[in-house]
Formats: sequence, structure tokens, C-alpha cells
Amino acid sequence: MTRLTTTLLGASLRGALLLGLGSTGLAWSTPHLPDSDAQVLAELPVGARHQSAPARELTRTRLDVALPLAQFYVARSRASGDLRYLGYAEALLAPWVRRTPVPPPVLVLEATILQSRHAFDAALQQLDLALQAQPDNAQAWLTRATVLRVQGRYADATSACAHLAGKADAAITALCQQSISGLNGHLGPAYAAVVSLPRQPLDAEARAWRCSELGEMAERLGDDVAAEHWFGEGLQLAPEDVYMRAAYADLLLRHARAAETLRLLTGYESMEPMLLRIVIARQLLGGSQGADSRASLAAAFDVEQQRGEAVHRREQARFLLDVEQQPAAALAAAQDNWRVQREPDDALILLRSAQAAHQPAAAAPVLLYLQQQRLEDVRLEPYRRALR
Amino acid sequence: MSVWRAAAAVLGLMLMASPQARAHVASNGFLSVQVQGAQLSGAIELALRDVELAIGVDANRDGRVTWGELRASQPQLMQYVAQHLSIGAQGSDCPISFQSLQVNQRVDGNYAWLPFVAHCPQSVRQLSIRYSLMDDIDPSHRGLLTLTDGAIAQSGVLGGDAVPALFTVDAPSPARALVQYLQAGIWHIWSGIDHLLFLFSLLLPAVLLRHNGRWEPVARVRPAFISILKVVTAFTLAHSITLSLAALDVVRLPSRLTESVIAASIVVAALNNIFPLVTESRARIAFAFGLLHGFGFASVLADMGLPHGARLVSLLGFNLGIETGQLAVVLAVMPIIYGLRTGAIYRRTLMPWGSALIAAVALVWLVQRAFLPTG
Repeated sequence: MTRLTTTLLGASLRGALLLGLGSTGLAWSTPHLPDSDAQVLAELPVGARHQSAPARELTRTRLDVALPLAQFYVARSRASGDLRYLGYAEALLAPWVRRTPVPPPVLVLEATILQSRHAFDAALQQLDLALQAQPDNAQAWLTRATVLRVQGRYADATSACAHLAGKADAAITALCQQSISGLNGHLGPAYAAVVSLPRQPLDAEARAWRCSELGEMAERLGDDVAAEHWFGEGLQLAPEDVYMRAAYADLLLRHARAAETLRLLTGYESMEPMLLRIVIARQLLGGSQGADSRASLAAAFDVEQQRGEAVHRREQARFLLDVEQQPAAALAAAQDNWRVQREPDDALILLRSAQAAHQPAAAAPVLLYLQQQRLEDVRLEPYRRALR
Repeated sequence: MSVWRAAAAVLGLMLMASPQARAHVASNGFLSVQVQGAQLSGAIELALRDVELAIGVDANRDGRVTWGELRASQPQLMQYVAQHLSIGAQGSDCPISFQSLQVNQRVDGNYAWLPFVAHCPQSVRQLSIRYSLMDDIDPSHRGLLTLTDGAIAQSGVLGGDAVPALFTVDAPSPARALVQYLQAGIWHIWSGIDHLLFLFSLLLPAVLLRHNGRWEPVARVRPAFISILKVVTAFTLAHSITLSLAALDVVRLPSRLTESVIAASIVVAALNNIFPLVTESRARIAFAFGLLHGFGFASVLADMGLPHGARLVSLLGFNLGIETGQLAVVLAVMPIIYGLRTGAIYRRTLMPWGSALIAAVALVWLVQRAFLPTG
């Protein structure tokens, strides 16, 4: 058969498959033979190298080798948004997780990995085990507070923070408590308390954390000028904090400052949450050059969905709402996401989707929740009023 | 921090950052399996980054994987996949043999694409797949499966589990088979431009009459409609006959022959518009060549396969799909050419030059299909 016919047949078969599957959305391309042996097919990122059998044996027998490496991978994942590193860390921990008792530092790191995968309940189980063995493990209490906070369980989170007293620096304990109190009906006083926290005892990482909390609180108070100041300072301290960078990008996007958003996110195109914001910014600029990125995002979300994972469900909802303009689908994704995590941004995307989809009833449980928790956020106000 | 530096040194980690501008996704392998009776064919795709972790392809350790390095690792890759992927039917193993490696690009970069065939001892009813690729390197790796039996497809997620995954490849319900093959048929008409060009060549003069050696527009809708109806019906009837005969294995023609003759049929039909020999009974041309186009459709269907237990209904669906797609094209084209027929542009420019263009394209196909080596 000629090449053309083969291509045509291929195309029709592919079509048949796509139609048949109701479009699984997998990006189709054609397998091919590269032109020359010298052609570079892949650039390998840091740490993604085949390891020799003796080296792997070492990680199975020496916790002081396995644990720091796993920590390195988790840190890489956080800084790069690359989920594969979490898998490498899990593989390193696997032989240690199978032991009894599991060493507490392994449990804490395992919990951090589960948290990054949004498996919050499983993360809490690991932390409980770690804290049974080591009630003084400050890292475990802090991680526990973070997980509970993301789940919207503020009372439990506050008590986890309280356990930090005497185990961690007083400023860390205060930051932990005030950041939750700011979500729980005391936004103004909490903001003032964190602003006046002494900075000296905090290391660079904690100072960046403080800035990130202040930025978010200022935004919820409606003081975007201050928020911008805090995000700017925080990113100078911790340029690799992708969570804070995304929050800053959202602030800029709310003010339709698309060009600045693109500048802020240059070099972060490989991360799905960042790429999403880039696509939205380009859309604001009226450019049509985003088709590739848009397809790439759609494919990435589809693959995640096929795997049955929800790591980027919030982003997926936002993609469906702001880029694809499918409010009903966005609402479904936002509701899925709300079952797993309940940060102010999760409420925001759900309320926005419910309004766009003209389904105020879908917003009711969220509105009730916000009222019960006394969550203050000026960004939510217009939707709260409209959907009430 | 010094501890992990030591660990990194032990493990020979390279801490060189490399710029990457592709979407990060979790580690996925893509497994496609097509079932045809007791025969399986398919491909397994692994990201090159995963291939490096599994077997080590970056021979010169410069942080880049070249095609030469990947090609040199082909035996190790096959061995690795053979150890971590096995397929069985009703409990007995279907030994896999690999074919040569290619490269496929996906959202997150290049993948090694390894095609294979497997032979099961008996016709597949229940497929079991044991998938443990990458499980000790990245436990979050999953295999995304697309399993097709003819045009009937199902998907699944593999890995992360010690027990093999089971998939039922049962006779699909007749309704499902009908719908799926109907869609496949429609799609084939839309993507199979050669059939459309043939039809166009026959439709172009359908709104005209040959009178004293000149084309003249038909006066009313009725004759134009009847002329088109005759052509389309003849074409449909003819290709349905041969499609069914070939699909049910009654008659077989070598695909090189049918593909070449299909191209020739387009050349003839198009040239007939410029140098008319047959003007009154184009329906006969449509019928005669339609018989050959049917064999063309049949070879598509043969590639796709008919699911056991639903062969006839699937064939019917595919045929109906082709007719539906064809009818849609005719209904779209008919009013346009009817509207244009009285203008001189249609008769002097559009018809002859359009036909010439079609003839030229088809001539290229004819040469390719009949005389160039297949590939």
C-alpha cells in the first residue's frame, strides 16, 4: 500500500478509535524513525538517571542514604511541579515502609508525598503513626496542620498548631496558628499579628512562608497593593515557591495585568498550573498563539482523569471555565475538587462555575460552609451575594 | 544537606539542570492492543525518561538521549518489557514477539514506541494483562490501555497492583457494534478523499446536459436531481456488493490492484468531463468503478477487523456509515452546483479545470500506487 493510503487508513482507524472511545483525548501522533543517530530525543532532568544495582542496594540497606535522597526528590517535585519525582521518592521509601516499625521520618516524608498527591486522609494516617512513635516530632505536627487546613478542618488544624508550642520556634507556632485563625473568622487581627511577628528567629524558608500567608490574607482583606508587596518580597526569598508564584499570578490576572503575568511565569511553562495561567493571560491579550498550550493542557488533564487522579482538579475546573468556556463541566470538576480540598481558591472556582452555569443550587453547600467557618474573602463576596 | 550530597555522589546523580518546556504529567506508559481472533497486535510506549531509569540508555552520560543511544539499547528494552509485561487469554499465555523500535511524540516529550504481535493458543474471550513496568522505580507509574476488537474499544489503567488486570473481549451488543461501525464508516468517507473525488467527478456534470458538443445547464431541478440520484445509487449499490463480498471473505483482490484501479477510476471519470465520451449513462461508470471502490472500503474494514459475534451487523453499520457520509457530501454539494450551473464560469472554468485538477491528483496516486515500491 502506498504511504498516502496508509496515512488515510491510519487516519480513519484513529478516527474510529477516537469516536469509539468517546474520545479519551489522548494526543495522537504517528510513530516514526528519527533521521539520524545523532538526533537528540530527550533531555534528562536532574536525578533522572538509571542507577546501578549496587547503588540501589545501598538505598535499601542504608536509611541515611535513602531518606535524604527521597527528601531531595520531594523538594525537586515541589520546585519543578514534576510529579514523577514523587514516584522516585516513593520507590526509595518503599522498602522502609514495609518494615515494622516504620521509622517516623519515613512516615512523615511519606505523608508529605501523599499530601502532594492530594491523598489527604492517607497522609493523616501516616502522620498519626509517626506522632504515636514520636509525639515531639514538630515536622509531623506542622504537616498535619497543613493537611487539615487544606481540608478545611480548621479546629483540628488549630490544635495541631498548638502542639508545636515548645517543639518549634515560637514564631513558627504563631505563624501556624494565625494563618488558620485568619481563615476562621479573625482575618483582620490575624493579619496584624503576622505583620508584627519578629522576623529574626525565622530562617529564609519560614520568612517566605510568612510573606505568602500575608499576601493571601491581604488579598482576602481586599488590599491588593499590600498583597502584591508581600508576594514580591516572598518570591525574592524563595523564587522556587511555585505555589506563591501562582497566587501572585492570580492577583495580576484579577486585575487583567496579562503582560506582567506572562513575565512572572516565563520559564514555568512546563508546570500545568502555571501553563494554565499563561494561557489565560494570552487569552486576555487577545492572542491566538495559545492553541498548542491549550491542547497540551487539555491532553494532560485528560490523562490525569484517565488515571483516576485529581491532583490538578482545581486547575482543570478553571481551565474548563476560563479557557474552554464550559461552565457545566467546570462546575462538575469544581464539585469533585471541593470533596477533596477546601481552600478559599477552591470555593472561588466553585462559586464562579455555579454562577456561570446558572446553577445557584450547586453553590448552596459551599455558601453554608463559608458561613459556618466564618471565612472572610472579598474575592468571594460578589458571588456570595449573587448566589444567595 | 551534606548527607544527600554524599548520597548523590554515591549514586552518580548529575545535578545539572536542563531546561524543559513541556507539560509535566505523571509517569504513564501507553499500551494498545488489537484483538483479531487469537492474534494480538499492538504497541507499548514508554517515555524516554522512564526508559533511562529502567535500563540506562544515556551511554555517554551527557544528560541527553539520542536516537543512536536508544537504538543501541533496543535489546535491553525488549528484555525489560518482556519481564514486566505479559498477556494471556483465558488463563494461558500469549507469547509476545517484538518488532523494531520507533519514536512517538506526546505532550510530555518523546516516547519509545515498541510494536509487538502475540499469538494466543485460542480465540480471545478474556484477556489478562500483567503490567509491572517501572513498579520498583516509580510506583506511581501506570499503564493506560486501549484495547480494541475491531472498532469496539475499551480503555483501562494498568499497574500498581500485583494481580493481572482482566478484560472481557466479548461479542459486543449488536446495537453498540452498529453504532461504532457506523461512525467508523462516516469517518472513513470524510478522511478518504479518493472516494470523494471520484464522486465529485461524477457530480460535476450532473447539472449540465451535453448538447451538440457543448455543455448546457439543465433547465429544472428534477432532471438534475434524478441524474445525481442515479449516479449515487449506482455507486452505492456497486460498492456495497463488493464490500460485503470482500468483508465476508468471499472474494479477495490484492490491495495494490484495487488501490491502483481506484486511482485510475478517478482519472477516467475526471477526464470524461473534459473530453466527454460517456455523457448519458454516467450511472454505469459509477456502477462499474463502484465495484472497485467497494474493495477499497473492504481493505479499511479488514485493517479494522470485524468483532466476532457481530460481524454482519458491524458490516451493515460500516456500510450505512459510508452511505451517510456520502449522502451528507452530496446534499451539501448539490445545491451549490445547481445554483452555479447557468453561469459561464461553471461550464468553462470550474467544470473543466476542476476536473483537470482532480485528474492530475489521481494520476499522481495512480503512479504511486501502481509503480512505486510499497512502503
